[in-house]
Amino acid sequence: MSLPHPQLDAEGRLLHFLDLDGLSRETLTGILDTAETLAPVGERRVRTVPLLRGRTVANLFFENSTRTRTAFELAAKRLSADVLNIDLVASSTAKGESLLDTLRVLEALQADMFVVRHSQSGAARFIARHVCPDVAVINGGDGQHAHPTQGLLDVFTIRRHKPDIEQLVVVLIGDIVHSRVARSDLAALSILGAAEIRVVGPRTLVPRDVAALGGRFMPHLDEALVGADVIMGLRLQRERMQGAAVPSSSEFFRHYGLTRERLALARPDAIVMHPGPTNRGVEIAGEVADGPQSVILEQVTAGLAVRMAVMSMVLGNRAGRT
Amino acid sequence: MSDQGSSGAREASGAVGGRLMLRSVVDGLGERIDPAARPVDLLIDGAAPPRRIDGEPPDGVPVIDGCGLLALPGFTDLYARLREPGPSRRGTLASECRAALAGGFTRVCAAPDTEPAIDSTATVELVLRHAAAAGGARVLPIAALTVGLRGEAMAELATLQGIGCVAAGQGDAPLADTRLLRDAMAYAAGFDIPLIMRAQDARIGIHGCAHDGEVAMRLGLRGIPVSAETIALARLIELVHETGARVHVSRLSSARAVAQVREAKAAGLPISADVGIAHLHFTERDLDGFDARFASAVPFRTEADRDALRGGVADGTIEAICSDHAPLDADALLAPFPQVEPGLATFDRFLPMLLALPEVAGIPLQRAVEAVTRGPAKVLGLPPLPGDVVLVDVGKTVDPGTWWSAGVNLPVLDEGSCTGSVARVMMGGREAVRSHEPGRVE
Repeated sequence: MSLPHPQLDAEGRLLHFLDLDGLSRETLTGILDTAETLAPVGERRVRTVPLLRGRTVANLFFENSTRTRTAFELAAKRLSADVLNIDLVASSTAKGESLLDTLRVLEALQADMFVVRHSQSGAARFIARHVCPDVAVINGGDGQHAHPTQGLLDVFTIRRHKPDIEQLVVVLIGDIVHSRVARSDLAALSILGAAEIRVVGPRTLVPRDVAALGGRFMPHLDEALVGADVIMGLRLQRERMQGAAVPSSSEFFRHYGLTRERLALARPDAIVMHPGPTNRGVEIAGEVADGPQSVILEQVTAGLAVRMAVMSMVLGNRAGRT
Repeated sequence: MSDQGSSGAREASGAVGGRLMLRSVVDGLGERIDPAARPVDLLIDGAAPPRRIDGEPPDGVPVIDGCGLLALPGFTDLYARLREPGPSRRGTLASECRAALAGGFTRVCAAPDTEPAIDSTATVELVLRHAAAAGGARVLPIAALTVGLRGEAMAELATLQGIGCVAAGQGDAPLADTRLLRDAMAYAAGFDIPLIMRAQDARIGIHGCAHDGEVAMRLGLRGIPVSAETIALARLIELVHETGARVHVSRLSSARAVAQVREAKAAGLPISADVGIAHLHFTERDLDGFDARFASAVPFRTEADRDALRGGVADGTIEAICSDHAPLDADALLAPFPQVEPGLATFDRFLPMLLALPEVAGIPLQRAVEAVTRGPAKVLGLPPLPGDVVLVDVGKTVDPGTWWSAGVNLPVLDEGSCTGSVARVMMGGREAVRSHEPGRVE
């Protein structure tokens, strides 16, 4: 009885990119391989390719973002697309115009693609269901639901360091409940068959049913780090540090903060990741974030190649359409 | 329908006086219902119990050919939102009273969460006057327990009872102040005003939009834990102990709450309960993929919860099945899931959902029918209405194009297994609705 997923056409090709639900390992690997071919573009003197020349990409950000919006903008520009950045946080939707009314106006600008960020879970699917058929929708993060390009750039980064994902023990630390990044990371790692995904955090921040996302709850970080190949910190929102979910940021750091001493429990070649922005001294010690095992800035760079891949593939699948 | 008075008190007396003869109907008016029984002729009287007759009707009594349809007593609904006063795009008393009647309901308890709430004599009188003019089901208003449903001060409960309110309650609005609740319950007990109360904690799950389970977790939706219901229910039960108030627990959602009600009843407390019809059918799985058609203030929970609700109806722990009707306009659904207005407009699909219960839920037909007729009447101490009869075409498939409610948010039914259509409705011994020319039931 449930609604069909709007992101795949009858042949299973991506028409939108909304979340990782129902995507096959082949599809994910295909995107990652394409991203690998596009990554060198950023290292050339002329850093553009003409894949989306003449196409218009509109960044519709209903929620504040600097990093993600900038990454999508730069990715679209490297594909030679025209880019519109539309800040909707303080705009018409705040004046009471409905989300759909706003969409209709933006459709009239004849964009080929909307990159959407919204504070409500399910907003990207909602927009994909109601947008006119000529527009592709990319989810740049919806509420606590999904941030699929982040999930992909994380596995892209992991794969570059540790190509055999099926052998890996990955540890996610911190706020899973409220994290769209965690959901997309768990989905991407599960689809690619990671050997074990350990989830560590206080019970206020780890869902009871986390096993349904493919994660295995472990209460103590020290135990979870033993044998780990990949360690991912997650951002803890400030309001949750002040007694709402954890008593204080210092208590959180004492139990779940990634320090150099703790990192020594993991495999010596383990990599340290974080979607940013980091709270130093809350989730991660500064010396670890800046240390030799950290790949946090590589993640940012990987985000460009992955988003170029997703955008070009989705619009490529639509090339034959009206 | 012209018998509809403007006074709720008069309505509750059931004083209506039409007569007619139903020729060739399957008699489902008693406690045993056998849809395969041989059709009989029944004399329906607004003032006396129906009786079987042979041969011709008394002089001047009109005859309706029942074509072998199943005759059931008119339904009584313990909770429906009729939306008036309030924004008319979601429905009016005119539209929803007629939708109720077309769905087989001859008596509907109107939820207090109108805009403004049903907390003043002016609002009650407006509701009764517009309902009487609507030419639909009789409306029995539920008074707001607190002024504006704000949970700050008791409404004039005895005055509202005096002009026709049959009960009082908070609708879906939480009541955080336990001392106020205790006082209101004691006060209501003094006037023998039944309370129709949803068990809902004022803090836990208050920003949630789905059952706090696997589906909500996966979709990143804020959850409504079972404890939001059971803590509030435990509070109500304790206060019933102390105040002696008659409490009807409205729209149960979880297995643990069903067990609490069962236990409270076993202890001899004056507690009764109902469940919304949709909650006997749907679970959290149905809203997977952000399906806004299954957004509901009372969350759809797990299959185990649904099964316990079914079991509660089957064994009588849950006396009544209500519509929990909540008509919405199309715009109310056009938003990301957490921002959608919750609710299902159930009136127009209530009957097929009810008739499906024996097969999908293991609830015997006579028990299902009792839960929308004698069950709810007994909860509120309402008199029987012998002249209210619904003729049901059991085998007729649902016509997707037919609905009476102003709401567009009809429940999504499994087309294959849902049949049943209201052919005609009598109120007070007179024909009130003729939905379609009934086909013969083989």
